Amino acid sequence: MLYRADFHIHSCLSPCASLEMSPAAIVEKAKSVGLNAIALSDHNCGFNLPAFAKVCEQQGMACLYGVEATSVEEAHVLCLFDQLDVAVEWGGTIYESLPPVPNRPDRFGDQPIVDEHGEILGFAETFLISASGYDVAAMVEEVHARGGLCIPAHIDRQVFGIVAQLGFLPDEPFDAVELTAFGNLALAKDYPVVRNSDAHDLATLGSAFTDLDVPALSVAAIRACLWAERMQD
Amino acid sequence: MKISDIQSLEGFACLQGEYTDTQVQDGYTSDLLSDVMAHAEEDSVLITIQAHKNTVAVSSLVGVVAIIVCSNRPATDDMLEAAREEGIAVFQTDGNQFQTSSLIAQHLASCPAR
Repeated sequence: MLYRADFHIHSCLSPCASLEMSPAAIVEKAKSVGLNAIALSDHNCGFNLPAFAKVCEQQGMACLYGVEATSVEEAHVLCLFDQLDVAVEWGGTIYESLPPVPNRPDRFGDQPIVDEHGEILGFAETFLISASGYDVAAMVEEVHARGGLCIPAHIDRQVFGIVAQLGFLPDEPFDAVELTAFGNLALAKDYPVVRNSDAHDLATLGSAFTDLDVPALSVAAIRACLWAERMQD
Repeated sequence: MKISDIQSLEGFACLQGEYTDTQVQDGYTSDLLSDVMAHAEEDSVLITIQAHKNTVAVSSLVGVVAIIVCSNRPATDDMLEAAREEGIAVFQTDGNQFQTSSLIAQHLASCPAR
């Protein structure tokens, strides 16, 4: 089946994202822009993944469950799973490793945890835009041990992209690297490339996407598809 | 100052001691490794809290001869292994980057070899 996917979308839980980004609004917008596969990937936690999973199931939207984790190097890394409970557990593990600095909503924005109707259940107390306790190498290992995809995010960006943080793309068993819509392919070296919107508001959702021809939206099928395409290049 | 002089400073521990004991010519303080890559001088000591193997990769590229990990951050095993292979000394101190930079700068300034 052919999927047009955007695997890097933030919900209202990320303090830098718009409060309009409820799981229901995300899925509705994704449909309207022609996406048929999406992932929610908030900063350093997965507290809105259960609500996201419910909405996707109700709306018949294929999905993965993500976390955009910040490594010790302060590089953003997209962690994608096809099992909700595993993604939630990894999100919790990353969240617990953050420095115990509380969020200041007046300065950084709110971090609301919501249900499938967009009702606020509570707030993530720890400031989510900190670095976790995992360096990139450890993160790849942990994500792979949990059966997920590990993808350095927006490697063409000057802020929080791994190339800008380190000065180079380290040789790790990444499943792909992520570029923004017009990011330079040469940065990806020999890795498969995915493009995602990194949407923090509804207007940018789907502004970058990846086409995948896979039998089902599973980690194994996506990994095989990405590398098969890479080998053809 | 020589690399081994760092080890004798108060509050410093040596985490990786397999290195050639050369003169330290300069210091560079940064936690953004692309900045280290662009601006650190050869034969420098790097003062940082980034304690992982990529710190060693960048250090070897620019010719950093010793790394001081500040605030007693734990260094990963693969970092120390990489540093051993590259012959780069790794030290750890409880001081932060500012305190450590100030201390190292004083020692570099008072060193006649420089």
